[in-house]
Amino acid sequence: MHDGTLRRILYVEDDADIRKIVSMSLEMVGDYAVVACGSCADALEVVDDFDPDLLLLDVMMPDVDGPATLRRLRKRESAADVPAVFITAKVQASDIERYKRLGVCDVIVKPFDPMLLSDRIGQIWQDYRSGERVDTG
Amino acid sequence: MSTPDEIVAAELERLSAVFAAQLPDQVQAVEKEAIAWLSAPRDAGRYEILSHRVHQLKGAGSTFGCPGISRAARKFERRIAEYRGELEAGRLPAAEDVESAMAELQNEATRVRTRSGDPEASP
Repeated sequence: MHDGTLRRILYVEDDADIRKIVSMSLEMVGDYAVVACGSCADALEVVDDFDPDLLLLDVMMPDVDGPATLRRLRKRESAADVPAVFITAKVQASDIERYKRLGVCDVIVKPFDPMLLSDRIGQIWQDYRSGERVDTG
Repeated sequence: MSTPDEIVAAELERLSAVFAAQLPDQVQAVEKEAIAWLSAPRDAGRYEILSHRVHQLKGAGSTFGCPGISRAARKFERRIAEYRGELEAGRLPAAEDVESAMAELQNEATRVRTRSGDPEASP
């Protein structure tokens, strides 16, 4: 049973520079433990050992994109019920609604301010937990 | 001693400088892919490569202090999608809109280089 605190974030992003600044921000500003992967294959290798509380996935990646990565991670017991957040530079409302229908709890639109990302993730987590409490009574 | 915020801000500044320095090569790579795709526009693989490169520029531009690059990349991304849509609808579209959006992206990259003090950049 999860104690309700967000600690471990599994982050998948193919752009190395974005990956670096986002990881730093989440670790140093947000005080989260982050494992950052450059691809779906890397994420599948570490997900079971890392046992994440939250999945943070870039949408547009070569080979295996964010939605497909989420589907593959969901097949692992360690990530089957873990809330997921997409990051995307797609800005059309229809895209965002489509992503939410895939089961992600929120979508962060690029560009974003890396300095404020931890706050945003914290808010998304709180909203998710509030919704979960309402769902379970 | 630096605070975590200051350390992240310093790294963001460093990566922004790297992004600006690499921008000419990035835009040149987009141009090369665009030329290759326009010579074989029904090649889905080439479109995916081009589209991904532009998408990365769009996402990284504003994050690393170059919102004009993000805007120009977004416009270019839209133009190539429209061009592809026309082709899929059985029409043979003119490439002028794609070329002009590419030129805007190049101009914006030159502006970034000029702003960051690159002596090789023409204003």
